[in-house]
Amino acid sequence: MIEIKNLSKEFKNIKAVDDISFKVSNGEIVGLLGENGAGKTTTLRMIATMLKPTGGTAAINGFDLVKEPDMVRSQIGILFGGEVGLYDRLTARENIKYFADLNNMDDKEADKNIKELTELLGMEEFIDRRVGKFSRGMKQKVAIARSIVHKPSVMLFDEPTIGLDVTSSVIVQDFILSCKKNNRAIIFSSHSMQEVEKLCDRIVIIHKGKIIEDSTIEDLKEKYSGNLEEVFVRLVGGKDEL
Amino acid sequence: MNFKIMSVVFKKEIKDMFRDKKTIILGILIPLLIFPVMYGFMGKSMEDSQEKVQKNLKIAIKDEGNSSFNEYIKSQENITIIKSQDLKKDVQDGKIYAGIEIPKDFDDSIKNDKQVELKIVYDDASQNSSMAMDIIKSMADTYSKGVVKERLIKMGVDESILTPMVIKEDIVAKEKTNVGRMILSMMLPLFLIIYSISSPMAAATDLGAGEKERGTLEPLLTTKASRMNLLFGKFFAITLMGLIGTIASITGLLISFKTSPSLFGGDASVVFPAKTLIIIAALTIFVTMIFGALELSVSIYARSFKEAQTYLSPLSIVGMAAAFSTYMIDVKDISPVYLNIPIVNISVVLKEIINGIYNPMHIILTFVWSGVYITISILFARYMFSKEEVIFRT
Ligand SMILES: Nc1ncnc2c1ncn2[C@@H]1O[C@H](COP(=O)(O)OP(=O)(O)O)[C@@H](O)[C@H]1O
Ligand SMILES: [Mg+2]
Repeated sequence: MIEIKNLSKEFKNIKAVDDISFKVSNGEIVGLLGENGAGKTTTLRMIATMLKPTGGTAAINGFDLVKEPDMVRSQIGILFGGEVGLYDRLTARENIKYFADLNNMDDKEADKNIKELTELLGMEEFIDRRVGKFSRGMKQKVAIARSIVHKPSVMLFDEPTIGLDVTSSVIVQDFILSCKKNNRAIIFSSHSMQEVEKLCDRIVIIHKGKIIEDSTIEDLKEKYSGNLEEVFVRLVGGKDEL
Repeated sequence: MNFKIMSVVFKKEIKDMFRDKKTIILGILIPLLIFPVMYGFMGKSMEDSQEKVQKNLKIAIKDEGNSSFNEYIKSQENITIIKSQDLKKDVQDGKIYAGIEIPKDFDDSIKNDKQVELKIVYDDASQNSSMAMDIIKSMADTYSKGVVKERLIKMGVDESILTPMVIKEDIVAKEKTNVGRMILSMMLPLFLIIYSISSPMAAATDLGAGEKERGTLEPLLTTKASRMNLLFGKFFAITLMGLIGTIASITGLLISFKTSPSLFGGDASVVFPAKTLIIIAALTIFVTMIFGALELSVSIYARSFKEAQTYLSPLSIVGMAAAFSTYMIDVKDISPVYLNIPIVNISVVLKEIINGIYNPMHIILTFVWSGVYITISILFARYMFSKEEVIFRT
């Protein structure tokens, strides 16, 4: 459960996120849709307590992100797009275990979860090999396992399929859907309406730090007749002219 | 402060670094071996050439008058006389180490109390030839003394008239001074400080900027672990890696002291009492901690390995300059100012204790200051680690 309340972030000269509010319930996937520089990463970084808001706050399962950042972090898992950011000289298992330890799990529970994830993601063959020589797809699986090893109830995905080939993208998308099945609250950021439309229950369109649309896919289709990709372009483009 | 998390970070970083062959080779093996190998070769070649010349002094003598000095030289041990038409050429070609030209009227001049000129041809670019020159000179010296003695006896004068003063040395020192110890007291503080600055650098670069460059920092910051626990885990790992590097380097240096003593002015076997060793170890750890934290701060600020290395070189130059500034200082006359300058004070106290001087005021002051420096550097690292502008610098 995520409740974002008037969240803002101002950098030196720009308002990267400007007074946004929305909710994500458990078992719901919300697509945070926006162009490059719209403020998606900044929003997710604030929810993950890596950046301090300059205004507003958010509650993650009731924990306030300004007042209880450590507790908030223990509730969430994050998967970033682009570089997977694994330690090459550690094995897949050691990479995952490191994050389990950092999230203060005991060894028994961590080992159990790693075993489950290894089976779920089909990592048996390489779980005890060093990550350095892995293919992109193998690394992606390790990164996924790492993001969820502590069983967070909230998952944040920041353009997770960026730069991935089709096979790896499918791995990630399947994972997101499995998170939904497990009743997690999920934010999925993307710049592609197509991807959002495929996975999400609700869409929040962010543009220049402001929310310009927040509705279900069906409502959106009803409200603006036609192709949703065009709707997105029109919404964003229309705002630019103001 | 969560010590469990700190130790998780610490253990992971140490494991990670020890799996890096580059770290082991550059950080441990090379520092350990470079001095013994380098000085080993230098010392060996020097001793070899010394022995070669001393065992077989190949010289030529040009003597038209068949003088008594010629006979004297021939009577010495390990001399090989080689016939030569052209002394200069043969010396240059290395056929002989040196050539002696004795004038025709040598014996007559000596007999008539005159001064004679003895010409020695040698090549000062050749170590062997220079060494031969020294040997011949000392032979001529001995011979001269004999002549002087005879002359004085002939004149009815006592020999001691030539030496109106005899100096008897009475050295004031707690222990017998030796050249090895003096060199050690100049070099050891310098090397200890330089190593303590340079050894943690690779680890600091890797654990800050390296983490950023590989994209692992952001996921790391999303875990429940607080920034402070991450920072301290890293800080201790850097300190340990730094100490291992310093120990390897100093061990290498001490091995070469032992194996090639001739290069360090002879006997270098200095045994330090336990308290000296403890203070040396403590000060080394302090410098490693100070610079470990500073280097981590710089490294976390940098966007990449390269940038970190660029920023780190001025930092290390400043530290090393401070150590160098005390290189020639006289430990008997320490100005109080020195004891309040970072690193300089540590260097001064190292010098003192290596020379067997224990000034409790100096030691305590330096320890207190070190504590202050360590605290400031850690606070600085903490500040850097908590700043959004630093962590997400693009
Ligand atoms: N650390 C930062 N310092 C200053 N400006 C930033 C920083 N991070 C992001 N920005 C700016 O904030 C805006 C939103 O960025 P971001 O959240 O990364 O967008 P998105 O993820 O939607 O592409 C951009 O204009 C970007 O340049
Ligand atoms: Mg982004």
